[in-house]
This record gives sequence, structure tokens and C-alpha cells, in this order.
Amino acid sequence: MTVPAQTLPPPEAPPPAAPPAAAPAQRRRALRRILRNPLSAGGLVVVAVMLLAAALADVVAPFPYELTNFDTTLQPPSPEHLFGTDELGRDQFSRVLHGLRVSVAVGVLSVVLSLLVGVPLGLLAGFYRVLDPVISRLTDTMLAFPFLVLAVGLAAILGPSQTTATIALGVGGVPLIIRVARSETLRLRELDFVAAAVADGASDVAVLGRHILPNAVNALIVQATVSVPAAVIGESVLSFLGLGVRPPTPSLGVMISSAQPLFRDGPWLAVFPGVAIVLFTLALNLFGDGLRDALDPREVRR
Amino acid sequence: MGRYLLRRLVESAVTLVLATMVVFAGVRALPGDPARTLAGEEADPAAIAAIREKYGLDQPLPVQYYRYVENLLHGDMGRSLRTGLPVTETIAAALPVTLQLAVFSLVVAVLIGVGAGVVAAVRRRGPAEWGANAVALLGLSVPNFWLGLMMILVFAIAFPVLPASGFVSVFEDPVESFRHLLMPALVLGTGLAAVVMRQTRSAMLEALSADYVRTARAKGLSQAQVVLGHALRNSLIVVTTIVGLQLGALISGAVVTEQIFVLPGFGKLTIDAVFTRDYPMIQGVVLVTAAGYIVINLLVDLLYSVIDPRIRVGGGDL
Repeated sequence: MTVPAQTLPPPEAPPPAAPPAAAPAQRRRALRRILRNPLSAGGLVVVAVMLLAAALADVVAPFPYELTNFDTTLQPPSPEHLFGTDELGRDQFSRVLHGLRVSVAVGVLSVVLSLLVGVPLGLLAGFYRVLDPVISRLTDTMLAFPFLVLAVGLAAILGPSQTTATIALGVGGVPLIIRVARSETLRLRELDFVAAAVADGASDVAVLGRHILPNAVNALIVQATVSVPAAVIGESVLSFLGLGVRPPTPSLGVMISSAQPLFRDGPWLAVFPGVAIVLFTLALNLFGDGLRDALDPREVRR
Repeated sequence: MGRYLLRRLVESAVTLVLATMVVFAGVRALPGDPARTLAGEEADPAAIAAIREKYGLDQPLPVQYYRYVENLLHGDMGRSLRTGLPVTETIAAALPVTLQLAVFSLVVAVLIGVGAGVVAAVRRRGPAEWGANAVALLGLSVPNFWLGLMMILVFAIAFPVLPASGFVSVFEDPVESFRHLLMPALVLGTGLAAVVMRQTRSAMLEALSADYVRTARAKGLSQAQVVLGHALRNSLIVVTTIVGLQLGALISGAVVTEQIFVLPGFGKLTIDAVFTRDYPMIQGVVLVTAAGYIVINLLVDLLYSVIDPRIRVGGGDL
């Protein structure tokens, strides 16, 4: 029982066998339920606004993020420079927008990487009893390595960079994805519509791809809404330690890291990038909570 | 019980062997020739060949791996390239710092986490539950290194009441040790507290609706007796497990915390080793961390199976 509770499969009786075709309608219903919950709807709005601002950073930012101005160095927040300026006179608001873009890119790409590796392995482990012990033992071994140690090792091999951070976070996230995909497969494999497909002579590939995977998507989406904020924080930690994104590229972690020596003269330099991280991860977690409740078929509507 | 114990022991041993293989392979995957690195930039080919022979780098990989494990079993992890000191000794010197920090953080996490979890479960649908949920969410959303910086900003710079850095052992000066470790322990403990709180709350909710609690109430026991004597006692099984599992995350968190508060512990050793490309040291810290992780997981599993007999019967698998 070395599994954190949130990754356990639903222990109770499986939901009524939903044929794959019902999934889109179910998802539309889920979206409506999320929007009715003010916290998760708020989370969704904040995430959407921040993603938009990050994506359009070049257009939205009031200054180019690398523009230095030695007349306005280390200025506290003002109407002109909302988040103040750093020791080179660079506008911190613009840098936070670009930093957010880098951090979110690392976060999302790393989770995509985890999914690409973890989902097939999880499906195989759940579907073929022969492969299960091998893959599960591999998963345990990976979990035996604290994530940071993996990142440290990768940074030592590849050298610290944005790519290294993405790979480290992506690989670090694989075991969790394997577990979710595996437990979903174990659950779905026993359901009637899968048994019917097998009896109908469907090939293993067809069963996995057409019946099991589409029905495991919900659980994977929920896991992703937990993994992405964790990866964004992970990126900031790695970059803060100098193992991830390197200056002058402004990721939120890099900004906090380079603010540290100027702590007494320009505390705002460390404050705003951190607030951006907290706001984004908090909003995404709130949305994720709502999503989990909405997609959980066991949840009885009150 | 015997069979389960044996199975978990074998599994842990296999995982540990795999870990040594990964560490061994990882170091071989590093860019550059280690013999050349050891010999220095301007070494002549003869010197490089000599080093290669001395360290057995001219042997086939399985032989090298065998030697590596042999040395490990003798407690020999080589010498640091940076300081020339044995890796084993250096790690042994740094561990007490990290352990004191970890224990203090654990206390913080359990006090806050269990307390808030119980309150949130007993007073449902009120401000208490809402507040506890908010704290838990914040705990998951605030990067702990940033929280550490903000605490330094407030408690060491704006209102200088606590030292911003340094370490004093609890065995030398308990008061100063407390002052030095308070902020690091709060930083490291809050993330864990959020997890503990969530688990405590859901375990308490389940326990409070169980039959034995209804029986206890029917017997006329007070609310405090029911909550603390019955529900909490049974919930602590789950909490113990979660705390055990989170010890690994605590190790990762300690790396960052030690970096912020300049504590000369295991985590700082790790980061310094990476930046100075001190490969024997990297190899050592990675392996020690992995071994610690595996042993903790084993102990937690065994503890759990002692507390909850169903695990043994079920074989501990999903």
C-alpha cells in the first residue's frame, strides 16, 4: 500500500458501464457543473486569463522584457512600472508575463511528456498480467528516487536548461501517470462493455484504444490538473536552485532566484513572481478540484 | 505475516539493487571521460591510462559494477573530487543537520495538519472547514522556497526577530537551535501539513460515520471522548502511513530549504556537489537518498501491516 490516497482507484462498485459514445455528453454536463461552482469557475477564469496573458506576453507587456534602463533601476512598484524595476531597470511586470509563459510552457510540456510515456505503460500494465509486475516494479524504483535527485542527476548529465527541467519534471511525473492509467485499466477491464467487445472478437489494440483509453481519459485529465501546477512549482524550484531554466531567460523561478541577492534593496523583485506562481497554481488546483467532483460518476448531485 | 515480511524484504532488496544500477549507469552516462577528468586538463595519455587502470575503468562494465558494489558494501563510496575527503564521512557529517530539520518539520506538520484536519472534520460546513480547506490548498499552491524567502523578508529583515541563516545543533544549545530551525521547519512543514490535514480530515469523516462511533455516542460518551478517543485514534493509522510516505518529499524539500537558510546539511551537499561536478559525491548522495527512501517505505509498509491485518491477507496490492 505505498500509494498516496488520491491516486487510488475508486474502491467501490464501478459506475454503470458507460459506452464510449456517451463520453462527450458526460463531459458537457461536467463543464456545466463546474461553472455552477463559484470557486472552480473562478479558478478556470483566472487560469484562462493568465494563460492568455502569458501567450500574448509580447503584445500585452508594456515594455520589452529585456529592455534595460539605467535611469530607473530598482524602483518600487508605481503606476508606470506596476511590479517595479530590477537592478538593470527592466520592467518587472513585463518580465513576470514572459516568465509565466516560460514556466507554464515547462509545466505543460512536462506533463504531456509524462502522459506520452506513462499512459501506454499504464495501459499495458493494467491489461496484461504478465507485464504488470515488471512495470509496477519499475514504477516503484522510479518513485524510490526523490524527484529532486532525478533532476540533480539529469542536470549533471545534460547541464541545466529549460529542456533539462522539462525532461526532469516529465520523467518524474511518469510513475503517477502509470498508476492512474493502470488502475483505470484494471477497473474498466472488468466492465461489461469491454467483455462484450472481447467476446465480439475485438483485437487487444482495439479494446485498449477504442474502449479502455477513451474511458480512462477523465481520470487522466483530473490527474493532469494536479500535475501541471505541481510541475509549474517544480520548474520554479529547479530554476531557483540553478538546475533548470538559466538567466537571462526569465522564468518565474529564475526571477526569484536572481532577486535573492537584492533582497534588502528590492524585496518586490522576489514578491511578484512568487505571487504569480501562487495565483496560477491555486487557480488551477481549484479548477481541478471542481473538475474531479464533476467528473466523478459516484458523486450524487445534491 | 512471515510470508508478507519476506516478500516485502525481497522487493526492497530488488529495488535497492536496481537503484545501485541506475546510479552506476547514470554516472557512466555523464559526458566526458572520468579518467581524463580525474587526471586534469593537461595530463598526458600515459597518466590517463594509469588512472584508468587504477580505478578499473579499463575493465568491462559488469566487472566495474561488481567492484562498485563490493566497495559499497565496505562503506567505501570514494573520495570527493572537491575536498579529497571520503564521501561516506562527508555525508555522515551532513546528515544530522538534515535529520534535526526533518524531525522538527515533521512535528510542525503533524501538529498543524492533524489539528486542522480534526477541526475540519468535526465542524463540517462551517467557517472551520472552509478555513482548513483554504490552508490546505494554499499549502499545495505556495512553493516552499518562496514562502521561506517571504518569511526571511518579514521575520529577519523587516522585523529582525529570527536569524536568517545558519545552524546550531539542538545538542549544543537548544534555544539557539530552536531559533535557527524555526523558520526552516515552518517552511518545510507547511507543505506536509497540507497533505496530513487532507488525509486526517477524510479519515476522521469516515471514522465519525462508522458504527463503533455511533455505539460510543449511544453509550453516552462525551463529544471529546468520541472524537479524540475513538475516531482520531483510528484515523491515526492512515495519518502514520501518509507521514511515512511523505518523508521522501521531506528529503527533497530539505534540499531547497537548506539552500535558502544556508544550513550545512545533506541537501546543500547535494546541490554543491552538482555545481562542482563532484561525481563521487553526487553518486553517494543519490544512493544514500534512494536507500533511505526504500528503507522508510519498507518500515511504513511493515508498520501498516502490523496495525491493519487486512493488508497481510490482501497481499498489499491494488
